[in-house]
Amino acid sequence: MTTSTPDDPIIRLVDVHKRFGDLVVLDGVSMGIPRGLTTVLLGPSGTGKSVLIKHIVGLLEPDAGEVWVDDVEMGRASMKQRYAVRRRFGMMFQQGALFDNLTAGENVEFPLRYHRRMGAAERRRIAAEKLALVELPEVYDRPTSALSGGQRKRVSLARAIVLEPDVVLFDEPNSGLDPMTSGTVDALIQRMKEQLGVTFVVITHDIVQAVTVADWIGMLSGGHLVAYGPTETFLQSDHPTVRAFLSRKLPEGT
Amino acid sequence: MTTLLAFVRFCGIVARASLSNPPPVRRIVEEAHGIGVRSLPILLVVSAFVGTNLAVQGYNAFAPLGGERLIGMFVALAGVRELAPVMVAAMVAAKAGTEMASQIAVMRIGEQIDALEVMALSPHWFLVTPRLVGILLVIPALTMISIFTLVLCSYGVAVYQLGLDGNDFIQLAAATTRPVDLLSCAAKSLVFGAIICLVSCFYGFHTRPGPAGVGQATNAAVVVSAVSCAALNYVLSEVLFG
Amino acid sequence: MIEGLAGLGRFALFGAGVAWRIVTPWWEVGETSRHVWQLVARCFLPVVAVVFPFGMVMALQGLGIFAVFGAQRMLSSLVSVAVFRELSPVLACTLVAAQGGSAFAAELGAMRIQEELDATEIMAIDSLRAHVVPRVVAALLASPVLVLVGSISGIAGGFVTAVYVKGEPEGVYWANLWALTSPVDVAGGLVKAFVFGGIIGLVACYQGYFATGGAAGVGRAVNNAVVIAVTVFVVVNYFLTTALFGAIGVG
Repeated sequence: MTTSTPDDPIIRLVDVHKRFGDLVVLDGVSMGIPRGLTTVLLGPSGTGKSVLIKHIVGLLEPDAGEVWVDDVEMGRASMKQRYAVRRRFGMMFQQGALFDNLTAGENVEFPLRYHRRMGAAERRRIAAEKLALVELPEVYDRPTSALSGGQRKRVSLARAIVLEPDVVLFDEPNSGLDPMTSGTVDALIQRMKEQLGVTFVVITHDIVQAVTVADWIGMLSGGHLVAYGPTETFLQSDHPTVRAFLSRKLPEGT
Repeated sequence: MTTLLAFVRFCGIVARASLSNPPPVRRIVEEAHGIGVRSLPILLVVSAFVGTNLAVQGYNAFAPLGGERLIGMFVALAGVRELAPVMVAAMVAAKAGTEMASQIAVMRIGEQIDALEVMALSPHWFLVTPRLVGILLVIPALTMISIFTLVLCSYGVAVYQLGLDGNDFIQLAAATTRPVDLLSCAAKSLVFGAIICLVSCFYGFHTRPGPAGVGQATNAAVVVSAVSCAALNYVLSEVLFG
Repeated sequence: MIEGLAGLGRFALFGAGVAWRIVTPWWEVGETSRHVWQLVARCFLPVVAVVFPFGMVMALQGLGIFAVFGAQRMLSSLVSVAVFRELSPVLACTLVAAQGGSAFAAELGAMRIQEELDATEIMAIDSLRAHVVPRVVAALLASPVLVLVGSISGIAGGFVTAVYVKGEPEGVYWANLWALTSPVDVAGGLVKAFVFGGIIGLVACYQGYFATGGAAGVGRAVNNAVVIAVTVFVVVNYFLTTALFGAIGVG
């Protein structure tokens, strides 16, 4: 067995199964995500990484199995409990998922407007602060259509951290970015990790990014978690998919 | 059939989301304003020309019987009770309904709806409730405006093109349209408004990915809501006027 | 204002381009017949579902009027005139616009956004001939068929209300059906359908063909296609009614 379990998991998946029609996406995934650390989930495209992350926030419900966030089981939780858990989450979306009819700054302010009681000036101050944190202080009044792909992701990140969440999820932070920009995003995640000290969950197919930012790494393949553990342990894994990924090749037949 | 079940479930979620939290007042005002302002111009044009045709039509039908004086009554019965509410529904479905469907579909494929969920905001509450309340606030007013325009324009045609007596027209139209009939029209329009909004938002929520998906969702929204309104109109007419 | 005029000019050029390609060879016969068939199949049920209850409503309200001077027997004459001349052309074509027109705009819009139209042109194929003309021709040909379908279902709807709901004698309904209606009315309705079909095809294809701005742009194109097509043909309808059925008062 090449998977290990952390001592103090904030999120626990127990034997999660999910299929869409005939397509089995998750075939019994169990894992614990360590509190306060950065966990990276690796895997080739189409192996259900995004599906897994959507189970954690309850956007999808497992066909079988359980998803625990501390002591709440997301599948059985009422809508109210589920929303209470989600207030502890922030998520950076693959394409940003910014609201098109708002400016970049208004997007960042958005969660504050609905979850915090505060004046407009205070909201603006906090949003500007978060935009500065992702190194985009100048885009506050820009419409989202005027942002580049990398900027959209960073605004999405600012929005994800504006409520000071316990867990930040990153859905493919590097997809669609050129290598230069990818490097800056990695550095940004690294710096945010040091400043915020919260739990990060990153899904990516970019091995360089995984090794740069991760404390723990897991590898998803064919609906299974084939290897999982602290970065050093993971890199020693002799599982063929891991080896192939580390040498940036895919094994025959997958 | 599964679509129908999914739709019923969708309506249930919307109802629960709308009642569990106070509605976002600012968004309701925005939506009501948007729906009203954007639908009004086309509604005026269509009402005007349906009115003119109604007069010509009534004239052709009744003149052989020597009943062309009854045209005011015909306009009141056919135009006010039946055509105006359905026409308003059709145009609001075509204009506001398609907009709802395509906006929400775009938000779905851009993961903006997922983003709302992750931010612990119910997308039904945030996206559907304001549109529903907005359309319910606006559509009775649109129906009244449409009725007024329609009657005015058929009066114009009856008097100036067909050379009929204007006083007859007004007396008969007024005698046929009781205040309670106008209330019934408003009631009809409320039912239609709710159907249009829920159907359009439903198709937006359940769009397939890509530009083609958005197009199909928008297409389905307008057809299904227009057909449902027209079919339901008969039932409502039987209940309210029959 | 200037923008509106420019748009109108562009639409006129587009319309002329399509019209020219319709009257000159070559035709995408296979593609065109596929679109005709698809349009009829897609719109058939919606047209019946809308015009049938409207026929019922016409009968319901019409009986109310005719009861005033005891001429309930004339009901079917009123229903048939109204259905053939006005209701069926306008309602059936509204459905053609909502179902067919919006589908045209959605398909062409998606093709524009996904650069399929550009790809067609780069393959040295005339994209108007390949993608637009078949749809416009389909709208022209399918609309009259659907209006006929609508007319029949409207008259059937009137029949159901009059005979089964209100208990009017069945024979009287059929006997008076053609009392005021002539083949001219049927033909007039079909002429209207042809014109409306052309408007729908051109407006919808224009909106889709010039869609911009991603998936949201496709949504906008669909929206505009339905709204503009319906508004334009309702206005045109008034002039057609006056021209075809000559309703100028006798004073």
